[in-house]
Amino acid sequence: MLLDTGHRAGPAAALRESLYRIRALANNNTLIRLRDPGQTISYVVMPMVLMLVLKPLYVRAVEGGTTKVVTGLLVMFSVFAISIAGNAILAERTWKTWDRLRVSRAPAAELLIGKTLPIYLVMIAQQTILLVYGCLVIGLPVPGNVPLVLGSILIWAFTLLAIGALLAAIVRSHGELSVIADVGALTLSSLGGALVPLSLMPEWAQVAAQLSPGYWALKMLQAAVVGDTAGTMLPAAILLGIALVCGAFAIRRLTRGWGRGGLL
Amino acid sequence: MLQAIDLVKRYGPVLALDGFSLSVAAGEIVGLVGHNGAGKTTFVEIVSYLIRQDGGHVTVDGRPPSASRGRVGVAPQHIALYPSVTVREHLNLFGKLAGLRRAALDSAVEELTVALRLGAFIDRRTAGLSGGQQRRVQAATALINRPGLLLLDEPTAGADLETREAMLDVVKQRAGDGAAIVYTTHYLPELVELQATIAVARNGKIIARGTYDELVDGLPGEVRLIHDNEEEVRVSTTQPAATLIDLLGRAERPISTIEVHNPSLDDLYRSLAVSDAS
Repeated sequence: MLLDTGHRAGPAAALRESLYRIRALANNNTLIRLRDPGQTISYVVMPMVLMLVLKPLYVRAVEGGTTKVVTGLLVMFSVFAISIAGNAILAERTWKTWDRLRVSRAPAAELLIGKTLPIYLVMIAQQTILLVYGCLVIGLPVPGNVPLVLGSILIWAFTLLAIGALLAAIVRSHGELSVIADVGALTLSSLGGALVPLSLMPEWAQVAAQLSPGYWALKMLQAAVVGDTAGTMLPAAILLGIALVCGAFAIRRLTRGWGRGGLL
Repeated sequence: MLQAIDLVKRYGPVLALDGFSLSVAAGEIVGLVGHNGAGKTTFVEIVSYLIRQDGGHVTVDGRPPSASRGRVGVAPQHIALYPSVTVREHLNLFGKLAGLRRAALDSAVEELTVALRLGAFIDRRTAGLSGGQQRRVQAATALINRPGLLLLDEPTAGADLETREAMLDVVKQRAGDGAAIVYTTHYLPELVELQATIAVARNGKIIARGTYDELVDGLPGEVRLIHDNEEEVRVSTTQPAATLIDLLGRAERPISTIEVHNPSLDDLYRSLAVSDAS
C-alpha cells in the first residue's frame, strides 16, 4: 500500500520532513524561474542603461546625484519586479497547480515558503547586482556599512514580495496584474522620488510621496549607503509594517485557494 | 476506506451536493457517473480537502479529510501541470512532497514510467506533450506514493487509445494491490472493463449503485426489423435476444435489416430522468 516515506515521529524528524518538502518546492520554482528569465533580465539591464544615461543629469541637478540616480533607479525597477512575484504566484492559479499542491502532504506554510523563497532571492539578487553595478560603473561610493545596506535590501525585497503576493491574490488574470503592477509601480516609484529627485517635484507631490512605499525605500537605501543607521530605522519599520499587512492578507487568500474553499 | 454520508454543498443559490452518500472499500473501484453538474467534481474536491462541505460527514480510513492529506492521490479533471517542467521533474516533485526519499522515489518513478508508458517523453517539458500524454503524467503524479485512496476525475477525458489502455491497466493493478478508487467518467464501457461498482449521481446525490448488470437488469432494450418492403417492426423488450428469435420465427416476408439494442447505462439515465420528471 502507501510507500514507506521514511517518515519518523518526533519534532526533529518532522522538521527534517518539512525542510525536505520546502526544498522540493523551492527547487521546482527555481527551475521555473530559470527557464523563463526574460522579465528578470530586463529589470536588471534597463536600470543599468538608464543609470549611465541619467547620471550626468542627476549630478548637475541635485547634490549627491550619483547616489540618487543609483538608488532611485534601483527602487524604481525593483518596484517593477513586483510583477515577477505576482506573475509567479498567479501562474499557479492559471496552471491550476496550486490546488494540486494543496492536496499534497505539505501544509500551507510550506507551500508559501517554497513558492516565494526563489522569488525573494531573485529580488535580492536584482537589487544587489544594481548596487554593485552602481559602485563599480556609476561611481557610487562603496558603502561603509555593508550589513546595513544588505539589511535594507532584505527588507525592501520582502516588502515587494508581500505586495506582489497581495496583487496576485486579488487579481483575476495576468492582464489585470500587468496593468496594476506596471501603472502602480511607475506611479509609486516616481511619486516616491525614484525617477525625479523629490526636491525637484511640486510641493503637493512631496507631501503625497510619503504615502508611497517607494519613498520610504529610497529614504532607507539612501541612508543605508551613507551608513546612517538611525535614518534607516524609521523607513525600515514602515516598510516592514506594509509588508506584514500585505503579506497577512495574501497568505489568508492563498491558503484558501484564492478564497474558493474557505479552508486550510 | 472512504465513507461519505449525506454531504451537502452550496455555491450561493446552487445546491451542488444534496445528501450525497458514497462508500468505497479497500480494493474496490467505484465508477462515479452522472451528467455535468451532477456533483461528481464537488465530491472529489471535498474528499481532497480542497473545499469544505456545508453538511454531512466524510472520512478517509477513519480520519477527516484534513488529516488525510498525502494519503489521497488526486488526478483532477483539468490538466494541472507546470508547462516548463519535465515529466521526470514533476514525478520527483510530487514524490518528494509525498515524503519519498531517493531509493523509493527512483523506484516509483521507474515503475510508473513503464506502467503509464512515459518513457518516450520522460525528459520533455509538459507544454510540448499531447493531451493524452499530459493525462498520463497527471495520473502518474497522483499515483507516485501508492496512496490508499485514489480520486481519478475523468482521467481519460479526450485521451487516445494508448492512454486509455495504460490508465485502465494501472487502475486495475492498484485496486488489486488494495487501493480504494473513485473513478469518474462519461465513458461507461471503461467501467465495465474495470468491473467497477457503478454509482450514478444526479442532482447532487447518488440515485443508484450496483454492478453494470444489476443496474441495467429490467431496463427495456429494443429490437428493430425492417422488411424488404420497408415495413418496420419495433419492439421494446427486456429480453432482446429472445424477442428477436420470436420475431424471426413469425416473420412472413424477407427481412433486410435487423437491429438489436441491449439496455445500457444510457437507458438507465433516461429511465431515471423520466422517473425524476414524473
